[in-house]
Amino acid sequence: MTIRDKVQDFLQSQEDRELFREHEVKEFLRGFGINTPRGMFVPSGTAIPSPVSLSYPLVAKVVSSGISSKSDVGGVRLGIGNGDELRSAVTELSLVENGEGVLVEEMARPGFEVIVGGTSDITFGPIVMFGLGGFFVELFRDVSFALAPVTHEQAVWLVDETKGGKVLKGFRGKPPLDIDAIADIIVTVSEVMATGLIRTIDLNPVALYLSGALVLDAKMSRL
Amino acid sequence: MTNLDSLFYPKSVALIGASATEEKLGGIVLKNLLGLKGRVYPVNPLYPELMGLKAYPSIRDLPETVDLSIVMRPAVEVPEILRQHAGKARFALIVSAGFAEIGASGLQEELAQIGRDAGVRLVGPNCLGIYNPCHGLDTMFLPHTRLKKPGKGNVAIISQSGAIVISLLDAVRRANIGVSKVINYGNAVDLDASDVYEYLAGDPETRVVISYLESVGNGRRFIEAARLLGDVKPLVVLKAGKGTCGQKAAYSHTGRLAGSYEVFRSILKEFRVREAADYDSLLDAAKALSCQRPTPGKRVCIITNGGGSGVLATDECMRAGLDVAPLPEPVKKILDSSFPPFYVVGNPIDLTGQVRTEDYRVALDAVRQTYDGFIIIALTGVAGVTLKLAEIVRDFRTEACKPVVAHIAQGGISGKLTTLLEKSKIPVFPSPERAVRALAMLLRDGG
Repeated sequence: MTIRDKVQDFLQSQEDRELFREHEVKEFLRGFGINTPRGMFVPSGTAIPSPVSLSYPLVAKVVSSGISSKSDVGGVRLGIGNGDELRSAVTELSLVENGEGVLVEEMARPGFEVIVGGTSDITFGPIVMFGLGGFFVELFRDVSFALAPVTHEQAVWLVDETKGGKVLKGFRGKPPLDIDAIADIIVTVSEVMATGLIRTIDLNPVALYLSGALVLDAKMSRL
Repeated sequence: MTNLDSLFYPKSVALIGASATEEKLGGIVLKNLLGLKGRVYPVNPLYPELMGLKAYPSIRDLPETVDLSIVMRPAVEVPEILRQHAGKARFALIVSAGFAEIGASGLQEELAQIGRDAGVRLVGPNCLGIYNPCHGLDTMFLPHTRLKKPGKGNVAIISQSGAIVISLLDAVRRANIGVSKVINYGNAVDLDASDVYEYLAGDPETRVVISYLESVGNGRRFIEAARLLGDVKPLVVLKAGKGTCGQKAAYSHTGRLAGSYEVFRSILKEFRVREAADYDSLLDAAKALSCQRPTPGKRVCIITNGGGSGVLATDECMRAGLDVAPLPEPVKKILDSSFPPFYVVGNPIDLTGQVRTEDYRVALDAVRQTYDGFIIIALTGVAGVTLKLAEIVRDFRTEACKPVVAHIAQGGISGKLTTLLEKSKIPVFPSPERAVRALAMLLRDGG
């Protein structure tokens, strides 16, 4: 199955949605071998199974294609330690406006946060972006761009172009992080963007470790 | 890839809207065309003859198909004029303003269609056109009393803006730089920067290309053409319109971060196209690259007779990503034994205000093998610096075959010294920082 086929299949499953939901985007990404935390989607109005087949601690996030920033609307709960805390977190989150349900995931261990994204530029068409990610991404704006699709080598170059990229190589005594893992994600995102079927992809943050990377949040929209 | 020879070396040129005197723009251009190495056909239904040349009522009356037709009539007349060009001209250069730049994009689209139907390549509209001193071609309506143009040389100037091309022509002439080809392409309804980049890649007269732009039509085509050109000779781009008039509140972080200038800049880097920080840097880059070929490397040695200027140069080297590496021990030993103890032997090498011109030779000989690029700072306020320095630096460069730039200041003989150095193809700059930035252009990527 080509990348294009996978993208088209996904778009078909979404019917006429333009903005996609986090758990579905993550499932789409898993189809390319990209890792995401283990989790489950609890649609509004349904009860969480008990016990839940995930390991504590957990996080719970409101799911909605309409919400641009979950944390801005109080839609995130971290460090949930047990069943009671989980139930009350889910209850609170289902009250968030425009919510369609709650995504409950195993809480990832701390990693170095980066952003990988894609968008369609008026002049250049589909482009892929890499940078220092997380909460402060729009403040630091330490990002660089390349034309999509990119090769693995170009993806590594993209990482090197940013200040954040220097941390990946080993900074102040810390060992280097898994550049290949992040380069693979960049290449995949770029190939999805190059199909011309997607408007934007936002993987922020991606937690990068000594070995491996985990996409903690994902947004995607169609053209 | 189109062959633009008929555009830059037209054997025959028609001027639609020619006038009898230089009080009209059509007269200025006709006067220019008298110097053309080719046949000139003024077109103006009101005159049988203009400036000694037979004039024709319309392009359809010309005895041949011309390589280039220059159109200088009001915008509203241009579509019909262009229709008449079918089969009578290979290129039409539309000087006239009043198209997309004032919002008349419908009128401009009409031109594009007519050009396609008539089989004529279009340049402009809203442009000054071309200056090619090798062919006596000057389509620009700029009175010679106002602007003296540079002579023949190896720098090509491609500008989207008419105002900027005029400023650059003057600045380049004053810096004693010559030009191979100059084009202001205006609204680019057909011919675009990409077409010119591709053409200049194969132009033996052009060694370096400087390009001013605000917008680019097809970005992918543009960057491929830029890369194609950049692989063969240095291309330096000055991109205007960097404002973060941000994206409309985009849904995604990526959407909000992907401001069009940030993207453009990144893509230029991705394709290894040099970008000038500002207008002065563009000129300095032209000067440096017109004199010397870029070579690989990052290690730079600064030789100065003033400590402060050396520090400023070092600071700029850091900003520019150049490595002011310390002198290796053996080199330090040689210089320690050659110089008085109060000279500062390091990098920069500070020959102090008590310098004698020969000291520069000793210093350069010692560091020639170790570094990739050299900055000579000579402050001529002290008696020890003489015009012999020019010969020393020239000989050094001949031996070393590596980039050398100079910063000369403090009046006195600095003017004469600058002239001598530049005659020997050592570019000279009025500040340490500008010298460093120029050297950085000569050390990017190499060849």
